[in-house]
Amino acid sequence: MLPSLHLTELEGPRKRLLTRTIQLINLLVMESHLHSAPPRLDAVFTALADPTRRAILLRLAQGDASVAELSVPFRISQPAISKHLKMLERAGLIARGIDQQRRPARLLALPMAEAAEWMQQFSRFWAGSFDAMDDLLQQMQSTKDKGENDG
Amino acid sequence: MMDDLPTYVLERDFAAPQTLVWQAWTDPALFSRWYGPGAETRVVACDLRPGGQALVEMRWGGTAQFQRFDYTVVAAPNRLAFVQVTADASWTKAPVAHQPDWPQQLMTDVTLSPNGPTTHMRMTWAPHDCSAAEVAMFRASMAGLGRGWGAGMQLLDQVLAELQG
Repeated sequence: MLPSLHLTELEGPRKRLLTRTIQLINLLVMESHLHSAPPRLDAVFTALADPTRRAILLRLAQGDASVAELSVPFRISQPAISKHLKMLERAGLIARGIDQQRRPARLLALPMAEAAEWMQQFSRFWAGSFDAMDDLLQQMQSTKDKGENDG
Repeated sequence: MMDDLPTYVLERDFAAPQTLVWQAWTDPALFSRWYGPGAETRVVACDLRPGGQALVEMRWGGTAQFQRFDYTVVAAPNRLAFVQVTADASWTKAPVAHQPDWPQQLMTDVTLSPNGPTTHMRMTWAPHDCSAAEVAMFRASMAGLGRGWGAGMQLLDQVLAELQG
């Protein structure tokens, strides 16, 4: 089971941060040509299926950070952080700086936008379809009522 | 085990009598008017009985998607169940383009119950006779929707609505 991250459980600054991140993702979704992008969703979903890695991504949305800087708030050893960063890097979710000492990690939002777009698909499919069914049912009923009144 | 399968559950009330909602699901002329948002949907054939099939073609932009419904339960006006099979143009089971691990067979189970003048619909969607990779893909998508990022997705919807409004 995946741990949940509910907006209601987040405090003001983190909620605002998540909102900003999502707005950024949203812009990228609209501006990118997703369908021509290579499929890397498996790696992205694997990377996102871990609470520490999701937290790291949220932290990086605030700005670049080194392994040392990340290991303090998460109370995790630097090698463990490095391992998480490798998985995020493999999924294309972050890039590492060239500075040999710090190698700061930087958030790359496009693959996340692809994952968000993918996850949205079936929910949007059904929600959109049932909105259309709502309209159709109303039309059917008004036609039926009209028919009954005419007859 | 069936219980282990990730299942997408959608519940919704429609302001219409149960028989009309049943018709909207089962009458090809009506079904094609709502199924597939933004797509031109055509029901090429429909044999509404357990063991029968419906062939559904959806077109939008330059793409076409083919789905075969293999009906398993047809109990008017209460329950309709079918395996939704992703297909190629000859209606043979085939993976969705660019997403080889998306489940090729999804059991779609629709239950309708009258609720005063309205109708309550409960729809479940779960992988059916799928590979482990397909189940994992569906589970990952589910996890994204129902938990964790689900809240983010709702927010994304709001943002999209604001941007469009």
